[in-house]
Amino acid sequence: MLPQQIIAILIILVFVYQLTKQKKRKEIGINEYGLWLTLWTIAGLAIIFLKQIDTLLASIGLSASAINFLIYLSVLVLFYFVFKMRLTISKLDRNLTKLTRVVGLKEAEKEKENMEAEEDIKE
Amino acid sequence: MKIFCIIAAYNEEKNIAKVVKGVKPLVFEAVVVNDCSSDNTQKLAKDAGATIINHPINRGQGAALQTGNEYALKSGADIIVHFDGDDQFLAEEIKDMIDPIISKRADIVFGSRFLGKEANFPFFKKHIIYPLAQLFTRFVLGIKLSDPQCGFRALNRKAAKHITIENREMAHNSEIQAKAFASDLKIEEVPITVIYHGFGQKLSGGFKIIKDLFINKLSK
Repeated sequence: MLPQQIIAILIILVFVYQLTKQKKRKEIGINEYGLWLTLWTIAGLAIIFLKQIDTLLASIGLSASAINFLIYLSVLVLFYFVFKMRLTISKLDRNLTKLTRVVGLKEAEKEKENMEAEEDIKE
Repeated sequence: MKIFCIIAAYNEEKNIAKVVKGVKPLVFEAVVVNDCSSDNTQKLAKDAGATIINHPINRGQGAALQTGNEYALKSGADIIVHFDGDDQFLAEEIKDMIDPIISKRADIVFGSRFLGKEANFPFFKKHIIYPLAQLFTRFVLGIKLSDPQCGFRALNRKAAKHITIENREMAHNSEIQAKAFASDLKIEEVPITVIYHGFGQKLSGGFKIIKDLFINKLSK
């Protein structure tokens, strides 16, 4: 195994350790934990079996080396996550607007009731 | 007939009192949705006689107008007029805007700055931004109106109930128009006057509107 491969595996192990800590602290759910664990496991296996992936890619006629292929794949996965995050933020943003609206309308209603009560007292 | 005028305002202390005083005699209730202004907008609008709804967090013009719509509908509004707080529209033109609704010719009326009345557009806006916006709204959103981004509009109860504004910032203009065209609402355009006090929305704002419409569509 190449030194670069060992470093990459160690980095992945640190991420998995952090992920498990987050799960224990209940900061992430079982589904999210499973998803990330699967992704890191795939990444780890891909790093361990780099040569085999190279051979496999060559056998199906792809000229890129295994590491290039992994980089392309990683960029695509990252794009996907950025996009998903963007949609999630957008939903949170909409919920924040709804909440702001409810607070604003409730206060206005309260103010209106107070004014009507004051007018009644005056009369 | 209960006519509500909704004015979305963010840091409009220079103009808000004048706007409220101009609008108030012409409608049943003038409502200023103060979108978390950091200046005296709230106090000045209240002193001028408007009903105030405060957004505790700044959410943008589209969100403020939807808040106003919900308040007006709950208060029994028959007609809702959207009006800008920066004194660029003329209050006396409210009657031209609501006339098609009162005479049952329209459910929703859009003001247009391109139908012959006075409009002191900045050159870049008139010749670059608006033609591009017109092309986008016509060919992408299917809106056949002369003015793609006018904030002066009137809706009857049916239209206000049907159209829920989801885009919290400036994309709400195109959204309202698109939703009106996608429904069976009767639509009319009325010429209005506009007096610009500043440049207003820039070309970058136009791209942001397209991005917001796109994200909003995807994140549903």
